[in-house]
Amino acid sequence: MNPFAKTLGLCCGLLLAARGASAADANLPVGPETLLADPAHDPAWRELFVRLAVSKTRQSQFEERRYFSFRKTPVILQGEIRIVPDRGLSLRYLKPEDRIMIVDAQGLLMRDDEGHERVAPADSRARAVTDALVSVLRFDLPSLEKSFSVHGRSDGDAWTLAFVPRSAALADLVGVLAVSGQGFVLEKIELVRTPSQRIEILISHTQEDVIFSGDVLDRFFR
Amino acid sequence: MEPRRQKATARLILIAFAALCIGWLACLDFAAKISTNVLDLIPAAEQAPELALIRGFANDVQARVMLFVVEDPATPGVPPRAAAQRLAEELRRQPLFAEAVVMGDEAAQNALGRQIYEHRFELLLPAWLGRQHRAFAATGQPEAKFSNWLAERAATDLEAFLSRPEAAAMQDLALSDPLLLVPGLAMRSQGLTSGGAGAGGHALVWARITVSPLAEAGQGPVFAAVDSAFAQVKATHPGVRLRWTGINRFAAASRARIESELRLLNAASLLAVLAVSCIFVRRIYKLLHLMPVIALSLLGAWTIATLTFERLHILVFVIGSLLAGVAIDYGFYIFMQPSLTPDEPYLSKLRRLLKPLLASCLTTVIGFSLLLFSELPLIRQIGLFVGAGLLCALGAAMLYFAQLERPQLEGREWGALGPGRATPWLQRSLRFLFGGAMAVALVGPWLLHWRDDIRELDIPSPELHANEAELRSLFGENPDSGVYLTQGSSAAEAREHLEEFLADEAKLAPKSTAASLGLVLPTAADWQALGPRLGELRDFAPEFHEALERHGFLADSFQPFFVAWEQVQRHPPDGAYEGLAKSLDGMLSGPLALLSNLHGPNFWFLTMTSEPERVAVPPALHTVGTSQLQSLNTLFSRYRWSALRLSLIGLALVIGSVFAIYPFRRGIRIALIPAGSCFFVFGLLGLAGSTLNLFNLLGAFLGVCLSHNYAIFSSDNASAGTAPPVSIRLSALCTAASFGVLGLSRIPVIHALGMTVALIVLTALMAVELESLARRSR
Repeated sequence: MNPFAKTLGLCCGLLLAARGASAADANLPVGPETLLADPAHDPAWRELFVRLAVSKTRQSQFEERRYFSFRKTPVILQGEIRIVPDRGLSLRYLKPEDRIMIVDAQGLLMRDDEGHERVAPADSRARAVTDALVSVLRFDLPSLEKSFSVHGRSDGDAWTLAFVPRSAALADLVGVLAVSGQGFVLEKIELVRTPSQRIEILISHTQEDVIFSGDVLDRFFR
Repeated sequence: MEPRRQKATARLILIAFAALCIGWLACLDFAAKISTNVLDLIPAAEQAPELALIRGFANDVQARVMLFVVEDPATPGVPPRAAAQRLAEELRRQPLFAEAVVMGDEAAQNALGRQIYEHRFELLLPAWLGRQHRAFAATGQPEAKFSNWLAERAATDLEAFLSRPEAAAMQDLALSDPLLLVPGLAMRSQGLTSGGAGAGGHALVWARITVSPLAEAGQGPVFAAVDSAFAQVKATHPGVRLRWTGINRFAAASRARIESELRLLNAASLLAVLAVSCIFVRRIYKLLHLMPVIALSLLGAWTIATLTFERLHILVFVIGSLLAGVAIDYGFYIFMQPSLTPDEPYLSKLRRLLKPLLASCLTTVIGFSLLLFSELPLIRQIGLFVGAGLLCALGAAMLYFAQLERPQLEGREWGALGPGRATPWLQRSLRFLFGGAMAVALVGPWLLHWRDDIRELDIPSPELHANEAELRSLFGENPDSGVYLTQGSSAAEAREHLEEFLADEAKLAPKSTAASLGLVLPTAADWQALGPRLGELRDFAPEFHEALERHGFLADSFQPFFVAWEQVQRHPPDGAYEGLAKSLDGMLSGPLALLSNLHGPNFWFLTMTSEPERVAVPPALHTVGTSQLQSLNTLFSRYRWSALRLSLIGLALVIGSVFAIYPFRRGIRIALIPAGSCFFVFGLLGLAGSTLNLFNLLGAFLGVCLSHNYAIFSSDNASAGTAPPVSIRLSALCTAASFGVLGLSRIPVIHALGMTVALIVLTALMAVELESLARRSR
């Protein structure tokens, strides 16, 4: 039992600012004109969803840019991202520190280079964030549509999808989730709470259908 | 005295004694008098305060917690929180429950989080400043540079923090807390893997009961309250399932098992004694005359033990029920001794037998009396129970048979190895056998391994343990982590000791993370130094502002912090340390309240580490691991040596008494038979690679006392060169049978005790039967 740690984790979550997302300021397609009423059957988007939802293992490199309201420039972290559909998402940070973050159906797990693990508080708020991330990465539309309205904008091969929380409480927690790319390739994930408080994950060098060995799966997933 | 008057007097004494005993026992509250708690086996005044702390923690804090898991098979993966809330409400309505909370109850956690944040300058700033001061001192820079050094360091730490995974979630908190007082505490405390409320579709309810789970009131009535509460839940949530655990489940199961074991063993023991008696006694019904002797012996033992001790452990009665096997010896000996003449008066026969009877009984009582000096309550209680029981058995046997016209139980002599069978070949073989036995007795005991495990006091209950392990893991407990209690005579002392323990832990296991509620409270030294330290930081605010700018921050964004800092500088937190501890104590409820004791009389903090618990923590750290079983095992090992020392002194006294009563040559024989049997059995067990425990030792002591009886009772026959009396054979085989039955017990310590006594008694019987044949010349 570690209620103390859990409570302190929660107390930090509690103290998050209650400012709602302002996606419009972040140049995301979240107006009425971009709302996708039935994305699964929208001819313009159907194929993209089908292609992105395909159960494929993926490995990419990423650069995470964390924008803070009190920083002049974003904090930049780099590493590798691995996606195994039935296991979840694993972010291996290589710079500035070696650290692994796993997002899966059980929640959020952090693992340092010594193998020590920390589980994020499994309260309803933390779960809301991880559940949303897992659903977005799986492009699990039925699940996403329960909590988010889906917006989309395309320009040639380039496309952007934004998932706007239906409830204010979820909006306070996760802001707007956005993914964008070219063709059928995912290139960027954004978590936007305000224009000055957001995280961008730029994805490159993606390899699909990667065969991960048992050791790799054990090391980078739960 | 006339035989008739003599009979009436004996009867009157026996009836009065029985009436007194029954009267006393009838008035007893057995539930309060008899304990099933293993912790009651530890002396209440155990000198090590850490053990007293564990005892208190286990009895008063941890033991009262009950854990409930609610799940709904119809919605797998979705925790039925509404049903859990209802269960908690229903449990709170029951007077037997002091608290019941749904884990992950965000309202309660938010309230605590808010309070810690609001009091961060009183609770967290003193320790933070203290740490920084010590780090600065290590740099060797002049004191005047501290403020500037601190501003630069705080900005550097904040910048590094932004790369951590937690940073995104805590960014708004950082605006008002750029010193990272609360995030720092959260990061230090989250270093442990923890399960979560609602993980895997389970909703978790934590509850604390008002009564001891080891008392009857904390078991049946609590179980009924749980059933009643869950019935209410089922009314609104029919599909949900409930699993739960608590010490009371183990205690109730243990009590039921021990009671059933007692019934079974006693019945089996009686049947075994009857079976042996059928072989050696002509008129079996006459054995009923032994029943009053055994009953009065047990009655006396129960009465004297309950009169003497305020509380007795149930194991005393389990082990004490074996008193029957010893008590029957005197009955057999008096009852089976033939009269010298057909009209020999009972008193004259008794006078003739008095010396061996008294020698046997009193020396055994002296031996068991020594156990009264043991540190272990259980051993003291057994010592008194058996000693008193033996005296009562002897008195009852002497008085009871005075009432019979012709107290004579005819035995069958078959199986006896009479002098006519002592052929040279047999004698040589027997001498060879005795030589071999001596070699085993001298060599084998050195090969013995000793190990005590308190878990052997109970019958294992794998299902309950599996259920407990599963539920505790759902509640986030990690069996691989270490859990410690650090204590002190005041909150300040306990916190000081915690600081020392954490420093020691960091030195020994640098990778280990430690979470403790104590981290929320500063040490008394840091608390008292807060005012002067803040006074030295008059320029900190502008210096920190500059440092933030240098590190790429928009320093003006941290205005909420600078406003609060100015306030705290103007009015530094002050007051008595006890008041601060009390205010923290007031913030805690539910499971969090069990992580410390800040209201005395024993002040302590619980610490969880990511590394497994250490085998031993230096006493100077005033910290003890809560894997109490291991601690108690060490304690039991210590008591085993104490029991061994007392047993050896007792044995020396018994042997000394024998030499005082009997001539030297007979004394040697009487001493060698029990001691030789004991060492031979230990030798055999040693050669077989057995691991023995405290209860083998107690069994050996009991076995030696019984063998001692046989050696004394057969002494006259040995001197006369005749076969030992049949009463010895019957008595020894009855004892071996009844203790052998105990060897079948599922309680490991009872098994150990039974097997040891049975083996020693059988060896002694063989020695008594064969030794005269082996040494008799043709």
